Amino acid sequence: MAGKLSKSLVIGAIVAAIALATYFARRPSTTGTATTPSSDGRVGAAVRGGELVASLRAEPTTHNRYVDYSAPGEVLALLTHATLARVNRTNDTLEPWLAESWTESPDHLTYTLKLRQGVLFSDGTPFTSADVAFSFRVLYDPRIKSPLATDTLVNGKPLLVEAPDPATVIVRLPSLFAPGLRLVDGVPILPRHRLERAFTEGKFNEAWSATTPVNEIAGLGPFVLTEHTSGERLVVTRNPHYWRKDAAGVALPYLDKLTVVFASQASEALKLQAGEIDLMTNADIRSDDYAAFKRAADQGRVRLIDGGLALDPNLLWFNLTPAHAKAPASRLFQQKVFRQALSCVVDRQAIVNTVYLGAAVPIYGPVTPANRTWFADVRPACEHDLARARELFAAAGLSDRNGDGILDDAAGKQARFSILTQAETIRARVVAVVQEQLRQAGIVVDIVPLDQGALFARFAKGDFDAIYYGIQSSAIDPALSPGFWLSSGDYHFWNRNQKSPATDWERRIDDLMRQQAETFNLEERRRLFTEVQRIFVEEMPAIYFVTPKVTLAVSARVVNPQPAPQIPQLLWSADSLAARH
Amino acid sequence: MIAWTTRAGLVGLSTVVIVTAAARFIAPHDPARQFPDLAFAPPMLPRVLDDSGQLHRPFIYPLRVVDRLEHRFGQDRSRPVPLEWFTQGRLVTTSEDGPWLLLGADALGRDVFARMLRGAQMSLGVSVVAAALALILGAVIGSVAGFVGGKCDAALMRVADFVLVLPIIYVVIVLRATMPLVLSATEVFWTMTVILGVAGWPFPARGVRAVIALERKKEYAEAAHAMGAGWLRILLRHLLPAARGFLTVQGTLLLPMFILAEATLSYVGFGFAEPTPSWGVMLHEAAEAGILSEAPWLLAPAAGIVMSVLCLHLVSTGVTAASETRAVNT
Amino acid sequence: MRNGFRRYFFRRVGFALLLIFAVSSASLLLARLAPSDDVFAADRVILAAERHRLGLDKPLFEQYMDWLGRSLRFDFGESLRFRRPVAALIRERAGRTALLGFSALALATLVGIPLGVLTGSRPGGVLTSAVRLASIAVLSLPSLVTSLVLLLIAARTGWFPAGGLPSVSADAGTLESILTVGRYLFLPTLALALPMAAALERLQSRAIRESLTEPCIVAAFARGVPRQRVVWRHAFRLALKTVLAIYGIMIGTALSGSFVVEIVMAWRGLGDLMYQALQSRDLYLVAGCAAAGSCGLAFGILLSDLALAAVDPRVEDVV
Repeated sequence: MAGKLSKSLVIGAIVAAIALATYFARRPSTTGTATTPSSDGRVGAAVRGGELVASLRAEPTTHNRYVDYSAPGEVLALLTHATLARVNRTNDTLEPWLAESWTESPDHLTYTLKLRQGVLFSDGTPFTSADVAFSFRVLYDPRIKSPLATDTLVNGKPLLVEAPDPATVIVRLPSLFAPGLRLVDGVPILPRHRLERAFTEGKFNEAWSATTPVNEIAGLGPFVLTEHTSGERLVVTRNPHYWRKDAAGVALPYLDKLTVVFASQASEALKLQAGEIDLMTNADIRSDDYAAFKRAADQGRVRLIDGGLALDPNLLWFNLTPAHAKAPASRLFQQKVFRQALSCVVDRQAIVNTVYLGAAVPIYGPVTPANRTWFADVRPACEHDLARARELFAAAGLSDRNGDGILDDAAGKQARFSILTQAETIRARVVAVVQEQLRQAGIVVDIVPLDQGALFARFAKGDFDAIYYGIQSSAIDPALSPGFWLSSGDYHFWNRNQKSPATDWERRIDDLMRQQAETFNLEERRRLFTEVQRIFVEEMPAIYFVTPKVTLAVSARVVNPQPAPQIPQLLWSADSLAARH
Repeated sequence: MIAWTTRAGLVGLSTVVIVTAAARFIAPHDPARQFPDLAFAPPMLPRVLDDSGQLHRPFIYPLRVVDRLEHRFGQDRSRPVPLEWFTQGRLVTTSEDGPWLLLGADALGRDVFARMLRGAQMSLGVSVVAAALALILGAVIGSVAGFVGGKCDAALMRVADFVLVLPIIYVVIVLRATMPLVLSATEVFWTMTVILGVAGWPFPARGVRAVIALERKKEYAEAAHAMGAGWLRILLRHLLPAARGFLTVQGTLLLPMFILAEATLSYVGFGFAEPTPSWGVMLHEAAEAGILSEAPWLLAPAAGIVMSVLCLHLVSTGVTAASETRAVNT
Repeated sequence: MRNGFRRYFFRRVGFALLLIFAVSSASLLLARLAPSDDVFAADRVILAAERHRLGLDKPLFEQYMDWLGRSLRFDFGESLRFRRPVAALIRERAGRTALLGFSALALATLVGIPLGVLTGSRPGGVLTSAVRLASIAVLSLPSLVTSLVLLLIAARTGWFPAGGLPSVSADAGTLESILTVGRYLFLPTLALALPMAAALERLQSRAIRESLTEPCIVAAFARGVPRQRVVWRHAFRLALKTVLAIYGIMIGTALSGSFVVEIVMAWRGLGDLMYQALQSRDLYLVAGCAAAGSCGLAFGILLSDLALAAVDPRVEDVV
């Protein structure tokens, strides 16, 4: 009897489960929006009103952009703040923004900016030059040590900003600097009336923290932060006082509300395909996901936008520091011919086809064709030429002395080195392909997959042979990336923070970079920088393989996206985003 | 006299063991070989009938890529590639331009079937040895704890709790940092085995200890002692066998757990380095979102895991049942 | 017996607390030893200042003593990564994990235990073999695979959301909120519950089979007690001990968060938090997560030991 009871219990449970499942079996209702495909596929005209949902991979830990250099912090600043002038990321020109116009002095050292009149903060307070002066005072304050400041220095010195009258701002550069006023693109203008007290009391770093009530935060951007639920989402709504209007005179932003949910990279793509979100902050899709997105696009649920090529490729750099010179493998890759030979062996097209499924192009240096202004198609002497590679290896003293298929040096030791990479990512796949290609050429590569923290730790300690990694720099003008190009730079991966250039070629690049930063003729600057790229490809301290083609995915509801090469590809111009009605 | 399930299990298990041991012979291609233009190629079944209905020796139509990004492939029907037996040191293989991908290809165009076979050596090897280690350690410690009782038992069980509760991931990361940067496959194999075995012993230990503690108080144990048998003999011959059933079930629980743990370890940087495949790593590669709906054959190792564990279970229950009938009959 | 049980109870609780303390200390130490660097973080100076403010750059002993003292006052420090108090973060995440864990446990118990009794009491038969095969198959599937397959089904059919936390709008009614949560909860619960149910079924089955050979059970049959009652009333009690030993651990594991299921299904609970804390070497968060996780496991172990003692009084003098 009890057995029958248990049996019926089980059956009953199963029936109940099925009933519940069928009850729940409804399509998840998206935020009350129509997802029917438009009949002709044309993008509708942007109309005021509507809401969109975006996803963000990490949460901002504070609302104070001046102490938060993270990617989520940048997105929040783009949504809720404005700068004096803005770099239009689609065509890389400097546009008037809060400054209506400016004049440049003949010696290129002084800019006089006329501020837009009648602009109000989101809480209604008028915007004047005092806010600008305050912002820059905070930016360079040594007590605050703002990470934004390091990007707003010229040769290590700050800009001098004066506010002679409420409508005028004077910006003085400490020395000649070609990018000039572009430096102000990264400095959001803060409301003096909200933050001056905290600043004078020395508590600026704690101001506008994650626990500050959102109604205390004010800005000049298109949206206002109205909600930040930790672990779930933040919500920005239209700034009623936003000063910008579109070409037809319609007050921007188009959107009433933008919800930004925090989701991991893995779940973002699924959510977008399912219609739970409209766009991703990192709007590009991985080549693995392409097929699924294409299907969704064919059904009209998403739209795929060609985003050109990626600006910041991954690179394989070698440990060329003097401290590591004694390591056994170092004797190999310290030689320029060895590095050139490695680059010569690699079949970049195979990497494009295998890892990126054809959606990438081979590259040979740090600047990719996505950087239209500065890219120079400089190629090494040999490309995928095994015979020539063998000659180069021989010049490095390597040949197969014992017939086992692996190259050996004069002492009979195998040619072998290790590459560190981040486990379980596309980078790991590229390295796996390169390892196999090098093996066929007689070079043994040990791949060491590590988790990110351990990888960084080894890099910081200089305890590695080679690393395959990449970071986002998002600066198009090379003068704005001195950390990478200059031998004294922090991101000069193969040999950081040198007191003085360790090699002739690095000294030459240092000189050329300095020259081109102080030249104002674009053609001359490009000529100088092309020479820099040529030297780089010749000396090859790091080998570049490919840069991926970028495909952006948005839901069918997104209207008027302005895709830019840098992340966030679409939210950088959030005021011109609209929703389909 | 042996149940048909046990017989099936034995057959399955021997197949697994033979195939794993002979992986290099049975795999049609080198598992590290990356076939160009065949990333995510679907499985290819051999045919005997061609388009006109004629019978041939088994052959395949090679796949050519039609659209890489959309994972679309087409069969090249103009050039059938015959399967070649007992050449190139392999059971069966095909010539250069028409690889036979029985279970399709992975993200880098490598033969999933060959990787699965080679991966079996790593994963099953690590898991079986680690499970054995965990069972032995657990049985020993559990027996001692259950047998001796008192403070010793308390101390041992508290140590077991500690090992159970401590997040092993942290230990592994620290351990990895102290080890040399480049580890050979053998070094990884044995270190992983020891780590998993040492992390896993509390599971069987708790159960064994409970069983031993109760059996010890039973009449037959006391009787045996009264007849002059030493405690060690009693432990080994009478008490421990009572835990046999529990141990076998634990073993079948530990095996898949360890296979996956092996993958998790590589996730945090302690694992087999490329190009050595392992089932756990292959499953993790399949886990990258989005690929699975496009290339479900990447889950092939899961089938391998299921089959191995199933056969192991069938055999172990059969053996236990047989010994129980024997015990009842004596 | 009452007194003995109470002594046993207090002793075990004491040990549980000691265990939690030991595990969190060990985790703090390990996280400190694990190598990391924010060499690529542009705001290194600010990070260094934050570290200093939170006391993360103190020498090991001093930091440990400091943390210990504060923990006793229930102040578990602040997370470097999230800039929030660790206790608040853990409370939030532990709640979600507990919801998932208890749902999975309930489902697994409801399905696994009765099925196990059924198959254990009827060794032959088609049903038994079928259930046995199904259990082994499910058991041997790693939870990674189960979660992935379920996610795949969700993405393809759209019946359930493809992972993520339920987002309940503020103006939804109670019933609607529950249904929304249920929809998001279903798949992760299933992913977690299936292997547990299978394990319970197998263990229960074997335990019943063994207990059916016990002399007291055979005697009950001989006395003419109806079969069902023998199986469910007597054999079940006897079989409980082996199952309970594992059940407690299951509770513990469910409560401390299966990070595979949580990560794949994007159910941001304790397991996911522990993983993220580890990635960023966020010391106080790591220690806090380890403490919370060990709380769950210790609680589970305690429960199973106590239950064992209650069922079989002979156990209690085995500490």
